Amino acid sequence: MIRSAFHSELEELKKEIQELGDRVEDQFSRTVHAMAGDNKAALKDIIEEDEEINELELKLNEQATLVIARQQPVASDLRRIIVCLKVSSDLERMGDLCVDMAKAYLHLPSLEAFHAFEKKLTKMEEKIRHMLHEVMEAYGSLDMLKAQQIATLDDEIDQTYGSFVKELFQTSYSADQTAQLAFTARYMERIGDYCTNIAEWIIYEVNGQRFDLN
Amino acid sequence: MSEVSMKQETVKEKKPAEAQPEAAVQKESVFKTEGINLWYGDTHALQDIHLDQRENEVTAIIGPSGCGKSTYIKTLNRMVEMNDSVKVTGKIFYRGSNIYDRKFPVEVLRTRVGMVFQKPNPFPKTIFENVAYGPKIHGIRDKKILKEIVESSLKGAAIWDEVKDRLDENAFGLSGGQQQRLCIARCLAIEPDVILMDEPTSALDPKSTLKVEELVRELKQKYSITIVTHNMQQAARISDRTAFFLNGEVVEYDRTDKIFSNPEDKRTEDYITGRFG
Repeated sequence: MIRSAFHSELEELKKEIQELGDRVEDQFSRTVHAMAGDNKAALKDIIEEDEEINELELKLNEQATLVIARQQPVASDLRRIIVCLKVSSDLERMGDLCVDMAKAYLHLPSLEAFHAFEKKLTKMEEKIRHMLHEVMEAYGSLDMLKAQQIATLDDEIDQTYGSFVKELFQTSYSADQTAQLAFTARYMERIGDYCTNIAEWIIYEVNGQRFDLN
Repeated sequence: MSEVSMKQETVKEKKPAEAQPEAAVQKESVFKTEGINLWYGDTHALQDIHLDQRENEVTAIIGPSGCGKSTYIKTLNRMVEMNDSVKVTGKIFYRGSNIYDRKFPVEVLRTRVGMVFQKPNPFPKTIFENVAYGPKIHGIRDKKILKEIVESSLKGAAIWDEVKDRLDENAFGLSGGQQQRLCIARCLAIEPDVILMDEPTSALDPKSTLKVEELVRELKQKYSITIVTHNMQQAARISDRTAFFLNGEVVEYDRTDKIFSNPEDKRTEDYITGRFG
């Protein structure tokens, strides 16, 4: 294996994954803010833009496959490439969840329940966006300690989600509204789970061990 | 880092679903090397080697040039003794008997342990004679039996179909890859228990290399194989266990999947990822 070639190809891949991470973070934030501002046009844009995220992930997959074919990496080098594939796949799934959130909002028959829970949702969005930002930073610097702290953040999000749903089910809004809002919160919570997945991949990349941080 | 390590204890490690306890059925050791030291004159070429080759497994020996891997494999059939300046201490047990015990008959060892070299080295004889040579030396004269041995050995080395109609032709007329498989057939003809291979594919083209690799995988059903290779992908493809040699020492010896996915020693990691060597 030609190490300098391998390293420059790997650096390029990781740079593009970071860009994908920034893109998804922005997508997520815009989704929640478009919902809060009742901006349906922006939500439709988000649904359409998901195709670009999917294509970015495919492109990353192809690049990673070529690096494997050309350089035949083993041990930590192989793990780096595997983790590139895993992280880009997790980011792509987060993009899908943004689309699911946008669709759930667009299916709301009225905004009565949404307005009642809007503050809670935007608060969750802040926490999750922070988590996504942190985990991508940890991935960039391969910071194991930071990766492990992500799990604590996810616990907080799980609790917030739990109390959100409990409170929602105690209201008397229509089943349609309740279901769509519960879905929305669930999609957000899933984004937190994917962040935790990435944290687990960071640990795998560094020491080859798979840990369940959830 | 220590903080991280401590924290790790609080999270549970994921186990792959298919992971089995290692060697649920412990295979018997064919060779057990205990503290072998070897000197070429004043040069300490092998230093306190401990290794354990198991039955029906392929053991790969990898390492940079001059690390002692070829020297080590030649200690297993005592070929190193052919060099007068060599001094060996320590023990190697073959099926429980120390082959460096003065009473151990080297002839017995050579019939039980066959060897294939880097460069195919057929005798200047016919294809048939090349394979029949060993059994003849061991006193088999019956032509029918010799024919049977030649056929089964050539079949065992996956070359029968290519040479069955030209057994009386000179072996030098075969391609490099065919010559190497002929040498493997010659080795099988003496019905060995172990086959030692010293970079058997380094002089072959990719297609012939693939054929020999496939052959090694088949042969391990019946034989135990130790292979020295410069080609790390080859070690990863065909071996069950890999030993990494460096400067005459065994740095790491483990299951091949472990060595090539997550080696314990940084020197192994550096070597297999191409940082040196």
